[in-house]
Amino acid sequence: MGAISLDEDGKSVVNQDQCVECSVCYRFLRNEGYWAWMVRAIRRVLSVFRLGYLADVDVCPTGALTPPELEWPRSLRAMFSDPTTIHPGTGIYGRGTEEIKSNDVTGRLRKGDAGLVVEMGRPGIGAFFWDIEKVAMALARLNPEFEAKNPVTQLMEDTGTGKIKGEVLNEKVLSAIIEIKIKQDRIPDFLRALEEVQREIDTVISVGVGSRCLPDGAIPHEEWVRKTGYTLSPNGKTNLGLGRPLFKEAEA
Amino acid sequence: MTNTLHRQGRAGNLKEDYVVFMTTAKGINREKSAAEIRQFMRICLKHNPINMGNIKQGNIYQDDVEIENLIAELGDGAGSTAVFTDPDAVQKVIEELIEADLGISINISGLLEEVRECCGKAGITRHSAEHSLGFWGARERLPEREILEINTLCGHGMVSFNFIRKMIEYVKLRRLTPKKAARIMAKCCECGAFNPARAEKLLEKAQKGEFSANTPHQGGKK
Repeated sequence: MGAISLDEDGKSVVNQDQCVECSVCYRFLRNEGYWAWMVRAIRRVLSVFRLGYLADVDVCPTGALTPPELEWPRSLRAMFSDPTTIHPGTGIYGRGTEEIKSNDVTGRLRKGDAGLVVEMGRPGIGAFFWDIEKVAMALARLNPEFEAKNPVTQLMEDTGTGKIKGEVLNEKVLSAIIEIKIKQDRIPDFLRALEEVQREIDTVISVGVGSRCLPDGAIPHEEWVRKTGYTLSPNGKTNLGLGRPLFKEAEA
Repeated sequence: MTNTLHRQGRAGNLKEDYVVFMTTAKGINREKSAAEIRQFMRICLKHNPINMGNIKQGNIYQDDVEIENLIAELGDGAGSTAVFTDPDAVQKVIEELIEADLGISINISGLLEEVRECCGKAGITRHSAEHSLGFWGARERLPEREILEINTLCGHGMVSFNFIRKMIEYVKLRRLTPKKAARIMAKCCECGAFNPARAEKLLEKAQKGEFSANTPHQGGKK
């Protein structure tokens, strides 16, 4: 995010607007436990002789970083950005949901369905909820089924419009996933809507599409994506179907 | 979560990058799943993964993580991951997981056709699949392809562009070897999806000054 910089006194400051509260700066650094006054004094002495101490990049000599106690709505930043935080709305770590990963037991996506995952802010840029709302509202106009167990859906005032609660719109997160279920033949409509709205936002989007495979293992959404003129990645995610009890569509 | 879906790369290096992970579903098979998850990790461990981890306890490159303790402490529903660089190892892992019949959902991120082939050899048909359609929106804000390749190795995006640039500088200045820098970056990735072997090769390229300028991303419109 580039949220950390040095002030005029050489002390680190965090741009609170840009920080997404992922806490990786805190978790990643090993605390060497030295006294801060001693480290500063040594550095000042060294600087007189134009010398500096080149510490390993993954240590903090004084353990200076501490994650703050966050209050709503800022706490939302950690829920979406820090994968070690359990999201209260989904009961799982981080910003996502199970989507196709447990489709063999949940039957979330069935024959003829496609799951569209629109991850705002990824890779590496982050997204404010005002941008996430723009995309959610553009998709909502096509009447998709927003995934109820998805943490972005849970922040919507109305899934019919895709409007997100006003109190969270100024919050920035590392990424957030708009997750919808549609019929496969509507893939072109939704990709075209994304094509339009992408020009109105100041962040990146990672787009994914998934479906239940045909009995021979073929992937039915491929045809619809290609018809619309988009390229599919050669890599992707495969659910092997080893979960039990296996979801049986005929019984549902 | 789409955490391993958008890994960037070319066929050559994607061939050396497979993330095998398990998922449980609340109210279906999450409860009392700890023993099965531990067995999943033990099966993966036998086949020399390049990384392993769990979101709650971290990955094997972190300072205080020891793999046997990590496995022993896995609880119900603890999402766990192993990364492999060799498709043959993935094939063996799939066969052993089928044999073990753990009843938890198993997913593999990697080249879809290679994984399909592995499934076929093991006598199963894949259940569901997901593709990336690439990056959309303000793509002008994205860095060079190789930086994206490293960044997307961590599904949660914990290895930032700035940190990758810093590691590249350190490697170029020979303050760190590519191997050491890759392992330091792997520490940031809590769940263990980061592939340090791929990162090391990319850093070696950077050291030789072989990074490309901005290049088209995968997916998106033709």
